[in-house]
Amino acid sequence: MLRSIADHLFWAARYLERAQWRARLVDVNYNLLLEVPPRAADPWDPLLKITGEAESFGAHHSVADERSVVNFFTLDRDNTSSIRSCIERARTNLRAMRHQIPTELWLEVNRLYLDAIDWPADALALGSIPAFFAALRERFYTISGVVHNTMARNNAYDFVRVGTMLECADNVSRLLDVKYHYLLPRIEDVGGAADIRQWAALLRSASSLEVFWQIYGNAMRAERVVDVLLFNGEVPRSARFCADRIAGALERIAARHPADGPALGQEKLVEMLAGSSAESVMRTGLHEFLLAFQDECAALATRIARAYMPVD
Amino acid sequence: MDAHDTGSTVLDLKAARVSPELPMNEMFDPAGRPRPECSRVANYFLTMESERLAQLGDRAHLMFQQMGVTFNYYGDAEGAERIFPFDPVPRIIPSAIWEALEAGLIQRVRALNAFLADIYGEGAILHDGIVPRDLIIGSPQFRHGAAGIRPRNDLFVTVAGIDLVRGADGRFFVLEDNVRTPSGVSYVLQNRVIMRRLFPELLHALRVRSVEQYPADLLACLKDLAPRDIAEPVVAVLTPGQYNSAFFEHVFLSQQMGVELVEGRDLVCIDHKLFMRNVYGLKQVDVLYRRVDDDYLDPVTFRPDSLLGVAGLTAAIRAGNVAVANAIGTGVADDKAVFAYTPAMIRYYLGEAPLLPIVETYLLRDPDARETVLRDLGRYVIKPTGASGGYGVVIGPKASDAELGQVRARIMRDPGAYIAQPVVQLSVHPTLCPGVEGEPPWLQPRHVDLRPFVLMGARPRVLAGGLTRVALREGSLIVNSSQGGGSKDTWVLEDGCSEV
Repeated sequence: MLRSIADHLFWAARYLERAQWRARLVDVNYNLLLEVPPRAADPWDPLLKITGEAESFGAHHSVADERSVVNFFTLDRDNTSSIRSCIERARTNLRAMRHQIPTELWLEVNRLYLDAIDWPADALALGSIPAFFAALRERFYTISGVVHNTMARNNAYDFVRVGTMLECADNVSRLLDVKYHYLLPRIEDVGGAADIRQWAALLRSASSLEVFWQIYGNAMRAERVVDVLLFNGEVPRSARFCADRIAGALERIAARHPADGPALGQEKLVEMLAGSSAESVMRTGLHEFLLAFQDECAALATRIARAYMPVD
Repeated sequence: MDAHDTGSTVLDLKAARVSPELPMNEMFDPAGRPRPECSRVANYFLTMESERLAQLGDRAHLMFQQMGVTFNYYGDAEGAERIFPFDPVPRIIPSAIWEALEAGLIQRVRALNAFLADIYGEGAILHDGIVPRDLIIGSPQFRHGAAGIRPRNDLFVTVAGIDLVRGADGRFFVLEDNVRTPSGVSYVLQNRVIMRRLFPELLHALRVRSVEQYPADLLACLKDLAPRDIAEPVVAVLTPGQYNSAFFEHVFLSQQMGVELVEGRDLVCIDHKLFMRNVYGLKQVDVLYRRVDDDYLDPVTFRPDSLLGVAGLTAAIRAGNVAVANAIGTGVADDKAVFAYTPAMIRYYLGEAPLLPIVETYLLRDPDARETVLRDLGRYVIKPTGASGGYGVVIGPKASDAELGQVRARIMRDPGAYIAQPVVQLSVHPTLCPGVEGEPPWLQPRHVDLRPFVLMGARPRVLAGGLTRVALREGSLIVNSSQGGGSKDTWVLEDGCSEV
């Protein structure tokens, strides 16, 4: 496999995963604001902080309201991480190598791209926001389904897996980092309806609300949310789940090497999580832990690129 | 539905005397009857329900879209993909005519290869004054950096696309040679796939010569060029990338041949050997089917700003460690001015009379030719010698006085940069055209040409048929895909199938 192909697959996967996270974040926050009167003056602010795009947003928009934020996150062509931009980039990466992916996968991604380039420039023209995001969610699920059902379990699949899981791990840790602090309850609100709704929204942003109920019942507590989203290896969007999958994929890629595959230290990411717990991390400092986790994700990504992708 | 629907040409020819200026209709004779080899196909379309006829275009378009057979037009700011327009009415060539064409085409490419070996070697044809030295040495396509490099078996040209046109009397003429990076064969192959889905019964009944072995044949020819004596030479296709207008073809051919598709950044030259950068390390390449022009192929030898090629490739070729197809420097053989000397080349190198005539070509650097042409500029097609793809071509009879004045001035300023050819009334073929004013689509005559593909390997082969390009605008003679032309499938009938 050409190094440039590995690069294309990895980044196509990352961009698609990023687009999905953006879509979930906007969708959930939008619904949350419909239900709950905003506590803070800038209810959309946490979203901008989660994605690290507050500055970029501020350069083009003076007011963070539903319209401007949906525009920025979903439609804005100048925002390289908007859903539309991510879809475009994913498609460009796949197009460069579409002869090496299943036709169905190319057609599905291209179909989404052809729709996305036709999305209007303004959120107001999107029609029903909930309906828009529901339809988008289905498209992402379809693409994921096509990947899992048509791709042979070879290096192409594994590079897609690494890209997807790295992006997911990064996003779930950022989500927790910001939301946790935003949700840091005032004593008087603990256990209150608003508090519960906020935690539920956070979990829903990670498609993990019902899984939470299965594990803990409908009893929200900060520590439990941290456990589900960081440490529970059975939850598909948890950091642990992602770290396990990243390690597995990298091991398989290295095992296919005719000689000795490079040692990329992917176990470190797993060990960070396996060797800790929600209770421990909240005692010593969740924010610091999440920062360290994100740093290790980034460092691992760099080592992967150096080992398998084109050096510019 | 009757013969009226096949186009006004039919009615004209029925009513009037046959004028030599009228183009030949490849499906109908001057009396309006289907030609024998076309009778089954003609009847098929003439008796088709108009609704089905109308839908054919859409069905084909949808199939192409789903297959992703697209084409980027240069000059489109967004680089948007378009489906290469396709006409579902096939063009028929009887086997006897094809056999003659085949022989003429192989003869031509053999002579061009001999010419290239000569001018990058001894230069005998220049010594003997058959071809002016300055025309060759001074041509921007003459690659001094390639002088002395001899491809295996002197096969400079492995893939050639020879453009043929058919005159009013039905004879085929060579309009132009393409021996650098000729494209279009993927459309030939994809068109056949579509036609098999649209008209399976027709194809079956007519016993049309198959085209699907082309990728296997191409791969065999490429492997034949390998300098290393190994059982399985490594072949790769070099593409400029996804924004190139022929990217689909690069993808398609690499896929069909089962070889890697690479861009410049995937390659590296080390110790005068060419390698692909794989995830597990470097892999040596023996033969590169390069769809990148010479200018961009090697920043060391050619344009230093090129990112499309790989540094040191020329040196690696010279060291005998890798071969490229087509070889560096073939562009001088499809130069429009050199074209005028091709019949002389055939006589000089092969000692044979040319089997295929060329369209008369006047070199405007020659004062007599220039005078003749300038006296009646409106009757000629003026072509700049440095360009390709139809740009810069001025068709005299269609040009305004102002345009003709501009061309005249340009010729006077730099006569060596232009050639002139008489206008050939390209043959026409019934083509599905949009209806007028809300009417359903109907068949109308449109000008066509033919680009057969010649493979030079151990055994020269010509792809049966080739790309029939059709000028979709009424009266237009420009068939180039980059300027809005389309294509038809070309059906060469098996022996003994001339009358159906």
